[in-house]
Amino acid sequence: MEMLFKDILNTDDVEGIMLFSHDGEMVFDLFPSATLSAPHKKTWWPLFMNALKGIREADLIFEKRRLYVRKTDVGYLIIVTGLFSPMAMLRLNCDIVLPSLKEMNKKKGLKRFFKGKR
Amino acid sequence: MIKRVLIVDDDQEMLLSLKEGLGKYEETFSVRIAGDGVAAIEKLKEHTFSLVVSDLKMPRRDGLSLLSYIMEHYPEIPVIIITGYSTPEMEKLAMEGGAVGYIAKPFMVEDLARKILSTLRKESEGGTLHSVSSGMFLQLIEMEQKTCTIRLFDQTSKKHGVLFFKDGELLDARVDGLRGEGAAYEIFTWDEVTLSIQNDCIQKQRTVHSELQAILLEAMRLKDEADQAKREVHPAKEEKAAEGQLLKKIRNRIEKELGRRCGVEDIYCDDAWDGLMSYLSQAGECFDAGAFKLGYLDRGEANDLILLPGQETVVIIVSPNCPRDRIIETLSV
Repeated sequence: MEMLFKDILNTDDVEGIMLFSHDGEMVFDLFPSATLSAPHKKTWWPLFMNALKGIREADLIFEKRRLYVRKTDVGYLIIVTGLFSPMAMLRLNCDIVLPSLKEMNKKKGLKRFFKGKR
Repeated sequence: MIKRVLIVDDDQEMLLSLKEGLGKYEETFSVRIAGDGVAAIEKLKEHTFSLVVSDLKMPRRDGLSLLSYIMEHYPEIPVIIITGYSTPEMEKLAMEGGAVGYIAKPFMVEDLARKILSTLRKESEGGTLHSVSSGMFLQLIEMEQKTCTIRLFDQTSKKHGVLFFKDGELLDARVDGLRGEGAAYEIFTWDEVTLSIQNDCIQKQRTVHSELQAILLEAMRLKDEADQAKREVHPAKEEKAAEGQLLKKIRNRIEKELGRRCGVEDIYCDDAWDGLMSYLSQAGECFDAGAFKLGYLDRGEANDLILLPGQETVVIIVSPNCPRDRIIETLSV
């Protein structure tokens, strides 16, 4: 999985990545930077995923960081970036990677990570 | 208090020359005109007058018929008759009908003005008071059991009203098109009035049946309600205006940076998004990202959305082909 997201993680100013199942379970996270880690809020993420229902893609801009949210076949991908990450490049990388995620899910039994695939 | 005088004549030239000639008395009375008795009655129903000057021979409704109508419905309004066909019989008829003056045409405008002024003086023979609260003063009239006609002018609404008291009891009230208790409720809410007192009450018909105190209390209650409604309406209006300005500012900012063909389809405020906005904002807190500035959402529909947080969420509808990153950059500065 880490290899799959390698290009995304190598994009400038990307600080971390998280993959959630549709019902809000965090199935993968990687934060190369020591200053930031994936927040383990077990009860909150399912609510957040539910709130995102119907959204295919979202750019969330904050004062100090950005979150890029992308719907995938297995759930939602959240990429945490700084303010200067090249967003067009990041989106393009996602376009390339996400079909592979779908393939992986089919072939290598990624399903075991996802409890409530919809 | 400037009094209103209604001049009724079917001779338009005569009407206009009288209006112009009496213009120099505008600080004492203002002149309104009507072309016949029917038009005069319409004006009497709409406004409060202190005096009517009427010609005798007119189409639709003549002067004598108008005089009789006024004596029946507005007995407190004095009427001066002017006529070009004066005969002693005609004068007798007019005076017996209740007219306070009779002038034969042709006459000098000054003669009519003198007659009007002397008649109007009677209106305030009992004195004139300025800037008083109508409610307070009228309680005194009741206490002293006075019989009088009180004409009031409200400086706030610029309305004229008349109250008729018989032995301290309120018989009738009039304000513009209203009559009876409804008119009394309105007059009693006036805070800053100029009033003149006439020491008699020609009005005999009773249209007010409640006690003065009860009317005063009800008037105060109605005033409180109206004030409360105003307080509720004004902030809403101000908020709406501020909202309009904010939306205009946002659109201008985008169009200034990206031109008119920037892909913005619509901008509006919608609190239906407040729930999602709260979640998006909390997501930022998870990563110590600071304050939430905006969200760009693609829902796979015909248009994308940009949500801006605020007292009410601002929704910007954009075309999916819009220069997304440039709009985001412009709005997040």
